[in-house]
Amino acid sequence: MSRAFTDNINSFNNVSNSIIFTAADDESKILAWLSPLEPQVRHHDICEQRVDGIGDWLLETREFRSWYNGNENGGSDHAALFCHGDPGVRKSHIWYEKPVRNKGHDC
Amino acid sequence: MLTGRDGSSVVVDYLCDQITEQDMTVACFYYDFASREAQSPTNMLGSLLKQLLSGLGAMPGEIVQKFQGQKKAIGGRRLQLADIVKMCTAVTSLQRTFICVDALDECVPRHRLEVLHAFGQILRGSPNTRMFMTGRSHIQGVVERGLGGGTISVCIKSRDDDIVTYLRARLRNDTSPEAMDSVLENDIIKSIPEGISEMYVPVGDPEDSYE
Repeated sequence: MSRAFTDNINSFNNVSNSIIFTAADDESKILAWLSPLEPQVRHHDICEQRVDGIGDWLLETREFRSWYNGNENGGSDHAALFCHGDPGVRKSHIWYEKPVRNKGHDC
Repeated sequence: MLTGRDGSSVVVDYLCDQITEQDMTVACFYYDFASREAQSPTNMLGSLLKQLLSGLGAMPGEIVQKFQGQKKAIGGRRLQLADIVKMCTAVTSLQRTFICVDALDECVPRHRLEVLHAFGQILRGSPNTRMFMTGRSHIQGVVERGLGGGTISVCIKSRDDDIVTYLRARLRNDTSPEAMDSVLENDIIKSIPEGISEMYVPVGDPEDSYE
C-alpha cells in the first residue's frame, strides 16, 4: 500500500467513515464503466489552440482570488465561479463577434 | 478577446501548475454541441468521478461491489446518478478539489439543471471543493439558481492587450510573410483593436461554440 494511498485513507476517515477503499485488479475496467467519455483528449486540443498570455488577467481578479482562496480571509465563501460572456450570433464571422448587449447586466 | 473556452484553459492551466506545489486535484469537462447526446448527466459526472479516482491508486469498495453486481444484469448496468454524486462528494472530501466545466450553455437544458443540482450537492457535502464554470451570459441566472447559492459570476469581455497578444500570435503564423512589413503589422495592431473595441474575438474552432 503506497504512502499516498494511506494518507488519503487517513484524511478521508477524518471526514466520513461511510466509504472504504480497496485495491481493485480491474481498475481500468471499472473506470471505463463509470463513463465512456474522455475529456482529457479535448483538454489537450484546447490547450494547444490557446495563445499564451491571453486571459491571464482573469487570474488576478478579485473574484478569481476570492474563489481560489476560499473564505480564509473571513469573507463570504464562493465555492463556485461562473465566467460568462456573449460571443455573438453571427456564425459566419470566424474571429470577430459582436457581443449581445444585456441591459441591466453589470458587465 | 477572451472567450469562455480561453477562460477555461487559462484557469485549468493555472490549477494544473499549482498541483505540483499543493496537495490538490483537478478534474475538468468540456461540453460540446456535437456530443450533446453522449454528454448525459450520468456520463458527465461519471467522467468527473473517473478522473478523481484515477489518481488515487485504489477504488471505493462500494463501487467495486456495484461493478461486480451489475455484470449479472442483462447487458450490464451503469452506476446511477445519485450514487455517482455520493461518490464524488466522498472522494472530493479527501483533498482540495477543483472541478472545471466548460461551455455549460452547450449542454442540453434539461441535463443542465440536473447537473447543476448535482454540483450543488457535491459543493454542500464537500466544503473543500471549488467549481469553475464557463458559458454564455444568458444562462447566468440558471447557473446561480441551479447551484443553490455560493456562486460568484464574472463577465468576460474583450481587452485591448488581449487583442494585441492575439493579433501578434496570428501574424507570427502568417502563411504569406512576404506580404507583411513592420509598418503594415503596426498598422494592423493599432487599427483593429480600435475598430473592434466593442467586439469579442473568439479563439479556436468557431463551429464548436456558435449556433
